[in-house]
Amino acid sequence: MKAYTQLGSFEGRGSLEGWLTRIATNTCLNMVRGAKRRPEYTVSDLTDDEQSWLEQQSAGDGGEPASVENSVVATDLADRLLSVLSPEDQQALLMIDGEQASIKEVAEATGWSESKVKVRAFRARRKVREAMEKLLSYKNSRVSG
Amino acid sequence: MIKMKDRHITEILDRASIATLSESELNEIRVHSLECMSCRDAFEAARLSAVVIKSRVEATIEPSPFFQTRVMAALREQQAVESVPAMLRLWRSAKVLVSTMAVTTAALAVISFIQPSQTTPVVDQTASAYSAYSVIMDQGADDQMSYEQVLSTIYEDDDDAR
Repeated sequence: MKAYTQLGSFEGRGSLEGWLTRIATNTCLNMVRGAKRRPEYTVSDLTDDEQSWLEQQSAGDGGEPASVENSVVATDLADRLLSVLSPEDQQALLMIDGEQASIKEVAEATGWSESKVKVRAFRARRKVREAMEKLLSYKNSRVSG
Repeated sequence: MIKMKDRHITEILDRASIATLSESELNEIRVHSLECMSCRDAFEAARLSAVVIKSRVEATIEPSPFFQTRVMAALREQQAVESVPAMLRLWRSAKVLVSTMAVTTAALAVISFIQPSQTTPVVDQTASAYSAYSVIMDQGADDQMSYEQVLSTIYEDDDDAR
């Protein structure tokens, strides 16, 4: 819709694909920014399914989440982990680690510098890893308790 | 010098996705994790995070069944708005301002044209009075005018004033 209505503003300097990507990126970022953020990330609401999924993965017999149920659990878990990040950091992490995009590709799609992309991805990985460590420690405490 | 097994490997984990780490980096992580509990937990967390993020990206998100209908309706609505002539759209947005300006202009015109016509008789009366006054005051100087002529001049001026 936005691309259709703003077609007149396309100056033809870059590729049409890049222009569309930039519009989609900015629209999605605005939507995520507008969504209500969780006030504080808590691990206490780990569901039984999520705990079971984490145990399978930790035991090494999970591999890729093949079943639909596993995919849903993993997706929910991902959303919970990603909620600790800013929308921009989420985007950098999902594009680089999820879609295997290069730093340059992310920079072109977002308009950020390559250094900024690297910093965002680094920070996002660390935050998500720390959040996952909290989840794992909570899971272990529930198992031992 | 710090031995390889004594270096914490969290920076390696955060620098790149686990899927893209080289074999030497993975070896360094494994060696260090054998003796460092916190780095082992960090490695496990990073591995699981990578799996979760990958599955998040691979998840197919279907649009709601009414998505296309809503988009097309919004497009038609926008096209309908654009098809209205530019002058009409301009008038719709500016009609309040234009109406206010028209009323103000009319009010100013009424004040400008009516007010002077009310003051005119006063001016005329003054002029006539002066004329009569001059006749009366010049009475001594103009001895050639008869008494009837003086009175008729004064009454003529009064009639003109009315």
